[in-house]
Amino acid sequence: MTPSQPHPVLSFRDVHRVYGEGSGAVRALDGVTVDVEPSRFTAVMGPSGSGKSTFMNLAAGLDDPTSGEVWLAGQPLHAMDEDRRTRLRRDHVGFVFQAFNLVPTLTARENVVLPFELAGRRLTADDRARIDGLLESLGLLARAGHRPAALSGGQQQRVAIARALAIGPHVVIADEPTGNLDTRSSREVLSLMRTAADEYRQTILMVTHDPVAASYADRIIVIADGRIVGDHPGLAPAAIADLMVSLEVGAA
Amino acid sequence: MSTAGVRRGLVLGSPRELGTVGLVAGLCGAYAGVLVTASSLLTAMATQTDGQTSAGLMLAVVSTVFILIAVYVSAVVIVNAVDTVVAGRLRQIALLRLLGARPATLRGSVMRSAGAVGALGAVAGAVLGVLATDVFRIVLVHRGTLPGVTYPVTSSFLLAPVATISFMALAAGWVGSRSVLRVTAAQALTGAEGAAPAPDRSTSVVRAAFAIVLMAGGALVLVAAAWLGERGSLAGFLAAFVGAATSGTGLLIGARFVVPRLVALAGRLLGSDPPSRVARRNAVADPLRTTRSTMGLVIGVTLVTTIASGMRALQVSVDSWTGLTAEQRAETHTVLSTMTSILVAIVVISCVISAVGFVSTMSLTVIQRRREIGLLRALGFTGAQVRSMVTKESAALAGTAVAFGLALGLGYGSVGAQSLVGFQTDGFVWGLPWAVLGTVAVVGLLLVLVAAAPPARRAVAIAPVQALHVDR
Repeated sequence: MTPSQPHPVLSFRDVHRVYGEGSGAVRALDGVTVDVEPSRFTAVMGPSGSGKSTFMNLAAGLDDPTSGEVWLAGQPLHAMDEDRRTRLRRDHVGFVFQAFNLVPTLTARENVVLPFELAGRRLTADDRARIDGLLESLGLLARAGHRPAALSGGQQQRVAIARALAIGPHVVIADEPTGNLDTRSSREVLSLMRTAADEYRQTILMVTHDPVAASYADRIIVIADGRIVGDHPGLAPAAIADLMVSLEVGAA
Repeated sequence: MSTAGVRRGLVLGSPRELGTVGLVAGLCGAYAGVLVTASSLLTAMATQTDGQTSAGLMLAVVSTVFILIAVYVSAVVIVNAVDTVVAGRLRQIALLRLLGARPATLRGSVMRSAGAVGALGAVAGAVLGVLATDVFRIVLVHRGTLPGVTYPVTSSFLLAPVATISFMALAAGWVGSRSVLRVTAAQALTGAEGAAPAPDRSTSVVRAAFAIVLMAGGALVLVAAAWLGERGSLAGFLAAFVGAATSGTGLLIGARFVVPRLVALAGRLLGSDPPSRVARRNAVADPLRTTRSTMGLVIGVTLVTTIASGMRALQVSVDSWTGLTAEQRAETHTVLSTMTSILVAIVVISCVISAVGFVSTMSLTVIQRRREIGLLRALGFTGAQVRSMVTKESAALAGTAVAFGLALGLGYGSVGAQSLVGFQTDGFVWGLPWAVLGTVAVVGLLLVLVAAAPPARRAVAIAPVQALHVDR
């Protein structure tokens, strides 16, 4: 695979990740080489146990490759210690998880501001205006002073997205962000990410097994058995569903 | 019905979780074993040498009071331990509810687990306490410190505290498992993390009013005691005792309104960076738990400080008296400091029991926050920040409890001394036992660190990945 034209935000170079040793060893990733271009919305798909979660953990610097190189924002994640990776994550990665995204003891606004504080960044008037703008466009301004327990699942997920976007990270990593949501909230969350990519040129990497969610992306990377088995431009939900079914049937 | 078939360990079972219950009941049992055996030894010694039984009898009466205080502190600790464990098992309880278990059955299971472990601990502790006292007695007789008369191994009175402790553990298990009733079967399906308990407003108001009346009334009686003492009235000390008991009861009843506010206030001193803020919020996230995990410490530190402060104030007063020879002065010093040491040694058990409870609660609450800590790690909390967060939470809780206990004890002790000998000195004498205050502060600081170290280590080891997935 040749490097794409713009400098990639994220690069995997022959990455292997093996859990355990000897006969019980599991090859979660088995030689993955891929580039993720900036300002695009990329979906990573695959059946359960395909290695897509491992892929995402490595991309976010949450896990170490057994061998190979992972570059994030031009920095070698594979060569960093946990402390440096933590700082890189803090400054350059936004996260949206499937559930339990928000610190329960902090209000919605405090959750959004948290990455700034952790990075030791003083909030400028600009930052404040942007955060207020984000909260407003997400319909959260009135709820900003509430703790997560007082918000609906969809609202919590939107707060998580606001937090991920607020600091202007190099990449937003979303792991099954719609996995716990009803259809309407799912659509809201996905449109939101689509808008972030289109209007703010935000790079987004989303792991999902939902063909509808993946159809919002510009590019779909398919992983099976620890390898990349497909790399497609944006597809319609039905086409993605067919792709996934053929993968499952082919494996059986 | 199905109740009979439910295993005792259905909800709880891990020795680690019930370990606190057993350990606390054991400490309490050992304490009772030592005190009861010691008073039976003193009685035996006195009857066989000079026919006087007053010392043994007095120790028996005093022991009863102190054992009851220890039982109360243990009850607070066990209620909190059970409540904390249950809070970490809400999903499992929801699953059991889904499978058809009735709430009362599950609560009964928790209660019996706590009662059984508590009874076991009480018996084991009592046996150890008796053995240790008897070994100590044999050594002393050998050395000739004690006369070589016939001593009983212990007294059958010991059965009473052992039964009391066992019953207390059972009752504490019942009180601590109240939240089981709020778990719905549906929570097993949604994976909800257990809704925040809704406090019952009406009883809260009654409770607050009751607490305020007792505290204010007690404080007035304490002022009266100081005044009576200044006038040299013999009623002064009785008034001081009644005032301290009344206001102390008021404080215990109203602690859930007072303590969380104090902890929140102390938390402000920690700083405003994210680890401090999360620590502060977590320290008061559940006001009832905040109260229970610190109340034992408050009681223990208050008792120790009251005695030390009262004795110190007496000594200051004695020092100011004219007409004492140097010899008499030295003798009162010795008597007072010996009494201080003995009394502090007797009440310090409350501190030990509550410290054990505090360490265990800190550990459990941090374990239960694995996902939150994983999330914080993913968002960029460094290991050092996680460690600082846990330590600061421990400091906000234990620091507040120790400071509060010290302040209360200084007040009670000084008023107590004033009520006895106020007329002998000009004005009010504060008993400031610096050595004891310093020791309490240092031990308090050690407790903060000891309680925070193991959970902080485990918290730092939590991989951020754990926050990513629902089922992990």
